This record gives sequence, structure tokens and C-alpha cells, in this order.
Amino acid sequence: MNGQERDRSCLEGMRTGDTRALEELYERHNGLLYSVVLRILREAQGTEQVLRESWLQIWRGPGGYNVARGNVGAWLLTVARNRAIAWLKSDGLPQRAEPAAGGDVPAPTEDASANAAHRQMSERVRRALDVLGPQHRQVLELAYFGGLTQGEIADRLNTSPGTIKSWSRQALVRIGDLVPHEDWT
Amino acid sequence: MTPHTEEILERCTGYVLGNLSDTELGALEAHLKEGCPACEAEIHRLGRGAWAFAAATPRLLEPSPMRTRILEGVLRESREREVKKGQREGRRAPIPFPRRRSTPVFGWLAFLAAVVFAVSCVIEWRAASRMQRELSAAGEEVTRLNGEIQSERQWTAIATAPQTRVIQLAPTPAGWAQFGATPPHVRVTYDSATRQAIISASGLAAPPGKDYQLWAITNTGPVGLGLLHADRDGRATIRLPNAGDPFTLSAFAISLENEGGAPTPTAPAGPVVMAGKSGT
Repeated sequence: MNGQERDRSCLEGMRTGDTRALEELYERHNGLLYSVVLRILREAQGTEQVLRESWLQIWRGPGGYNVARGNVGAWLLTVARNRAIAWLKSDGLPQRAEPAAGGDVPAPTEDASANAAHRQMSERVRRALDVLGPQHRQVLELAYFGGLTQGEIADRLNTSPGTIKSWSRQALVRIGDLVPHEDWT
Repeated sequence: MTPHTEEILERCTGYVLGNLSDTELGALEAHLKEGCPACEAEIHRLGRGAWAFAAATPRLLEPSPMRTRILEGVLRESREREVKKGQREGRRAPIPFPRRRSTPVFGWLAFLAAVVFAVSCVIEWRAASRMQRELSAAGEEVTRLNGEIQSERQWTAIATAPQTRVIQLAPTPAGWAQFGATPPHVRVTYDSATRQAIISASGLAAPPGKDYQLWAITNTGPVGLGLLHADRDGRATIRLPNAGDPFTLSAFAISLENEGGAPTPTAPAGPVVMAGKSGT
């Protein structure tokens, strides 16, 4: 059973209330969810709160996963990322003007055990964005980690929303083509 | 059904990045609920890029006590919600106890009957709650499977569509030099109406440090369609939601690139080892 099949099997188990399935899915994916949410929020307390709400949503609604949209890991990431952005934009919380860059997170330590596949993927994405240009990376970071709308990004970069859409799509296609088919479906 | 427009298709980028305005998001979700294969294919393709972009985030070590706090918190909160839900449902249907005078013995019997009745009500309620949860889970499963079936139908329809072409890729001179006497077999099944394509390959294991990359050759030049990652036996089956415009597409080709693919998506950097005309 490969990783995708294991993930789907965990979701099946969670439908019947199997807490071990939840634990397994957590072990397999929370490292990435934690890294992404912390990068968005840049504070530990909110990150833990967002992750608890995200896993509660996943535990109570594994049927929210739609296989036609991609792999289980991508769905989990979408749940956590959207909750983090909602948390960031909610009233009474400190807002920030810029999304966190890679080295800007007040996080403890980098996970030295991150596997070779992850390092290889990071390197490929970096190379793909280097080819496209810095504006493509900036647009994706402002959108994904900053939660800015296309219009807000256009204002910030002093260009048109159409250009932002175009840059976003070019970057996503270019990066997506690097993903092996079996990792996505 | 809402008409499928370029504007709606363009919103798919913002959808996968989660940065559409509420109005745009509402319009796109309404459109998707009605079933739009083109938008679903676009979201599938772009979603792959968004996931890879996020997945490349430097991994950070989570504090070790966090795992216990989160998992225990999830299960505790889930149980509390179930209890509260049960209490709300319980209050909706109060059990009426009529007031009446009776003898002490009859009173005890009535009390006993009431206890039995209450216990049986609790058992019934728990069974009903369990069945409701199972029904809800079954409903979600049906929705998920329907999505899966719809996606699979779109792809299997390519094989029987009248406008579908099957293009067999043959080795180029550089390919013969690369493969020797046993070249790989690569077939592209391309539906010119939907622009979807399925690539089937065998014997296509890339040398160490190299990747095979697929290209659409158009009248404005090559367009990268992605890397061909074969399994350990050299077999690969890849689905492309958009392999190119049939009016500009003239051929498909495969180049041998350094790992990660050609630096630019508009020109192979390595030798083109296989090619086949699309038949237009």
C-alpha cells in the first residue's frame, strides 16, 4: 500500500471513529501543516489553536475530501491553510503587512529528519521559480502565505489583476508539472 | 447551468491559492456544483502546483507536547459536541408523565414502568444517534464516490470519443542512439475536443540523474507538458487535462533532460529522443 492509499485508508477508518487512523494521519502530515501554519501566523499559540481546529474539522468531516481535486495531503493542507488565513484576518488579532518569508519565522528548529523526497521537491520548486522570475514567487507567497486577494496583490505590486492572474497561473503550472503523477492522485 | 466563460476558468487560479474575493468564490463554487469538467480539470492541474509550492516550505520541528495536546483536545471536543448535540435532541422530545392518584403499590409499579420506559428511550435514542451518524457518513461516502466516478468517466470517454487520435511516438536518430535496439513504446491518446490526453509508456526508465520530458510541438514552438516518471519497470500512464490547442498542435515529442526538466518550459535543453505527428 503506497502513501496515497494509506492516507485514504486512514480517512475510511476515521469515518468509523477509529482514533488510530487519526493518529496515523497526524503523524504523516502534521509536520507540514505545522510548518505552513506557523509560517503564516508567526506565533506558536495561534498555530496550535489553528491546528487543533483543523484536525477537529478533519476528524469530524473526512467526507469533505474530494478525490477528484487531488491527494489527501493537499486537502489537509487546504483545511489548515484556510483556517490560518481566517485566523490572521479575524478581528482583534495582530495583522501584518508582509507574508512570512522562509527565514522570517520565529520557529524553533528546522526538522533535520525531513526526508530526501521533501528536500528534492523543495529544490525543484526553487529551481522552477528561479527560471520564472522573482515576481512569480512573490505573487504566490503573497497569495498563499499572506492571504491577499488578486486585487490586493496587484495594488501592492503596482500592476494589473490580469497580470497577477497570469503570473500565478504560469507559476502553478510550472511547479505542478514537477510533481510525479503518482504523488498527486 | 451557468455558462462556462474564460472569466470563470481564470478564477480557478485564485481558487487553488485561496485568494478569491467572496463574490468570485461564490460564483465559482456555484458553477462547480453544476458540474464543469473544464474547470475541474483546471483546478486539478493548478492544485498540484499549489500543493507542491506549499509542500516545499522548510520543515520545522513541532514542540513534542503539542501532539498530545492537539489529539487529546480533538477527541475531547468531539465527544463534548456529541453530548451537547444529544442533550439538545433529548430536550426536543420531553416524555410526558401524567399526574394521577394511585395506591402505593400501583405507584411503585408505575414508577418501575417509567424507569423501564426511560431506559428503553435512552437505548432507542442512542441507537438512533448511531444510525444517524452512519447515515451521514454513508451520504458523504456516496458524494465522494460520485466525484470519483465522474472524474473517471471523463477520462474513459476519451477512448471512445470520435475526435480522439492515437499517436504513436517513434525514436528519433538521437533516440535510437540512446535506446539501442529496444526503444520504449509511447502512445498518446488525444481528444481534440476536450484537449485531454492520456500518455501510456513502457520501457521508459530514465538514466540516473535524468528525466524524460513531454512536449507539445505547436506552430509557435514547443510547450512543456511535464515530466514522465515511469515506475521501476519503465511503465507510466499519465493524464493531461490540457495537452494543447488542436488548431496549433502539430506533434508530441519527448526529450531527455537533466533531473527536474528543461530550465525553460518553451524549449528542450536535452536531445529529443521520440516524436510523433498529431495528424492535423
